[in-house]
Amino acid sequence: MKKKNKLISFLAPVVSFLLIFSLWEIACTVNEVPTWFLPKPTEIFRSMVVDFPEFWPHILVTFEVVLMGFLIAIPVGLLLASLVTSFPLVNAALSPYITFLVTTPLISLIPLLMLMMGFGLNMRITTVVIQSFAVINMNACTGFNNVPTIRRELMQSMGADPIKTYLKMTLPSAASDIFTGVRLAAIFATTTCISVEYNAGNTGLGSQIIKYSQYLKTTQSFACIFYVTIIGLIMYGLISFAQKKIISWKE
Amino acid sequence: MGNQVFSVKSIAKSFGSEKDGNYMEVIHDVSMDIAEKEFIVILGNSGCGKSTFLKILGGIEPATAGSMVLNGRDIGTAIPPEELRRFGFVFQSNNLLPWRTAEGNLKLMLQIMKLKGEQWNKRIDEMLDIVGLLDYKSVYPHELSGGMKQRVGIARALVHDPDILILDQPLGALDAITRKMLSYEILNIWKKTQKTIIMVTNNVDEAILLASRIFVFSNKPAVITHEIKVDIPVEERNHQIGQNTRYNQLREEINEIVRAAM
Repeated sequence: MKKKNKLISFLAPVVSFLLIFSLWEIACTVNEVPTWFLPKPTEIFRSMVVDFPEFWPHILVTFEVVLMGFLIAIPVGLLLASLVTSFPLVNAALSPYITFLVTTPLISLIPLLMLMMGFGLNMRITTVVIQSFAVINMNACTGFNNVPTIRRELMQSMGADPIKTYLKMTLPSAASDIFTGVRLAAIFATTTCISVEYNAGNTGLGSQIIKYSQYLKTTQSFACIFYVTIIGLIMYGLISFAQKKIISWKE
Repeated sequence: MGNQVFSVKSIAKSFGSEKDGNYMEVIHDVSMDIAEKEFIVILGNSGCGKSTFLKILGGIEPATAGSMVLNGRDIGTAIPPEELRRFGFVFQSNNLLPWRTAEGNLKLMLQIMKLKGEQWNKRIDEMLDIVGLLDYKSVYPHELSGGMKQRVGIARALVHDPDILILDQPLGALDAITRKMLSYEILNIWKKTQKTIIMVTNNVDEAILLASRIFVFSNKPAVITHEIKVDIPVEERNHQIGQNTRYNQLREEINEIVRAAM
């Protein structure tokens, strides 16, 4: 019975995937939709393979920026959340700026950052970090603030110092909230990276999507979008894997 | 009566300040002398400040006034960190860390207290054995029943070999049958380990079964209204205690006191 359920839950998305793309294919063929308007999925998949050598350097650039920005954002967000929740003064001084960063659409900062840092990787990674650390920070703060009082009392009754209390109790207590932030940050990182590439320079998948659209090469444009999706899926997979490895308990 | 191990002199605790209008006096004036290997039970209605009193004894909160004397040394209003090793605290809700196994939860105590070495690792097994959970060593709390979790909580409070065991309504979160069984188990643990125990409860039967002396707290702000010596020999405290005449006498007497306080 269980085996059957597993098989079904594996097959269901495969079947729905095939169904959706077949419908798309059929709709394009029957209605003779022009390729520049909406290419057939088979054409897009062919382009993903045939034009791969052309895409590859851009895939690398985008993936590097997303991953680097994301990996820097995690410790920055966590450190800030730890400071903010441990010291009320730091909280009072910094929390308005963190709110600014979350609520300001980062796209509005891109021209300024371009002016200051140019089109290179540094500027892109900086933008990704600024946009994604705040959401980690916010979720980690929630986690730290929701640590049950009796767990603090337990550590006090043992005479644990603040660092041991943090490492052995606070951090694991907040782990699932932190992972919520990390998940969101991965989405923020990908979105921000593509937005920056739309605006700055001629490398990265974002710049290619713009370029191909301008030449009405919609098929290649779609191929790039699918590669962005794959990058997003890889990030999602990595985080799920890490979460399973780290959080093996139930509350 | 044996040596005085722990004395509490005129302890008081209040929260807030009169200036802000949120002043609340929880404990007015509580004094008690506790002898070695004694089992002290504190009885009181809910919200009477008995848990706050235990938090002061367990080093979780400082008192506002008064002092405590530990082995002849005056330690003031709060238990200093280096003396916390002498105490083991059992919480009402087991308070186990869900990401640690039964063994891991006991180990945490040893890690924090910096107790290393083979003899301490062996002690983890001994304590889990005393509470009858040696087979559940590597099991996570979410796989244990409520009573089992609380027994791990008791083992954790014993693993660093404290002098004084503090139990804050340890059976409060359990169903009636488990509660009864575990109260006999606490009695056995007391007999086996020979620790000094201070326990808070709101159950009169439990109090008489376990206590050498019972202190009854008034409603908030707490003072001690009665001190009752339970003169039932340890040998007679077992499942047949309900037929003991002295037990029933005491039971009636204390129920009367508790009713009057409500």
